[in-house]
Amino acid sequence: MIIAERKPIQEITASLVPYKNVLMVGCNTCVAVCLAGGAKEVSVLSAVLRLALRENQPELTIAERCVERQCEAEMNAELATEIGSYDAVLSTACGVGVQTLAEQFPETVVLPALNTKFMGRPEELGVWSERCAGCGNCVLDRFGGICPVTRCSKNLLNGPCGGSANGRCEVDPVNIPCAWQLIYDRLARLGQLERLTAIEPAKDWSTSRHGGPRRVIRKDVKL
Amino acid sequence: MNKLVIIGCDRSAGEALRSLQETGYCLPEGVIYQPLPCGGSLDVLHVLRALESGAERVLVLSCYADACRSFNGNTWAEKRTAAAQALLTEAGLGQERITYRQVSPNMSADLGAWIHTLINLEPVEAQDRA
Repeated sequence: MIIAERKPIQEITASLVPYKNVLMVGCNTCVAVCLAGGAKEVSVLSAVLRLALRENQPELTIAERCVERQCEAEMNAELATEIGSYDAVLSTACGVGVQTLAEQFPETVVLPALNTKFMGRPEELGVWSERCAGCGNCVLDRFGGICPVTRCSKNLLNGPCGGSANGRCEVDPVNIPCAWQLIYDRLARLGQLERLTAIEPAKDWSTSRHGGPRRVIRKDVKL
Repeated sequence: MNKLVIIGCDRSAGEALRSLQETGYCLPEGVIYQPLPCGGSLDVLHVLRALESGAERVLVLSCYADACRSFNGNTWAEKRTAAAQALLTEAGLGQERITYRQVSPNMSADLGAWIHTLINLEPVEAQDRA
């Protein structure tokens, strides 16, 4: 899922200065699961903003809504009748949700309340970590299900660098395991260590961001 | 306007308050008590809503460690109080608006003293200006 975290409150309050009547819209999908922008977080953030701006912007009102999936226009349709009555929308969705609202309601100012971080998974209560960089050409079959593009700090595809020590990455030994140690251990467990003798050719990054904004088209489901 | 909202575990804070009231004590004007079934059910939003509704200060009370009937409700109460304090600090508001204390049912005298102290502190805005 997409992992995001709230922007600093001072940054959000600064973005609200020109407005008096704001609609905060949450998203009940990824950002709700990572506790950044669901209905609960909308309530908490709006309460803090009202308290923070009580003296400097006493005329500011913040209404709260939450849609099921802000990245889908159909799910935002319920906002259509009221969104025009607000000066601005403060979205606690990921960047996709913010842009969907902005495209869908072109006359409305849409402000982000979150920083979208990465595609990842919950590791434990309160901890999320990156698992996919969306490179557009998945290599997990060749690396024991562990992604060197995402989990190696240097995106190395043919073994570890000299900064791997005791199974940890030199970039942050406390928090980052060496992806290549993980790959080795996993392949050993699967009895597939011979895979490591194959040379992985240079990756074609044109399927990643380097090829510009991407689209997926399914003709079989497209009208 | 409420001067103080007390949010507390009813098994410890509530018992302490009821013992205090049995001695003839009445909560001072502007002080209200909001019981929770356990400190673990405290939500950051409880604290923020209390402040939003006009409370000058919030006092969160939960059991002592190892005294929680639900095992770790006190831990969650303390963590969520700290989270609310962090939010206020980040927003440029004083975290001293929120106080956390551990309490046991037999600490009625302590509870009375805490309430007396908190309602007689200078308003937070005045402290901020100073």
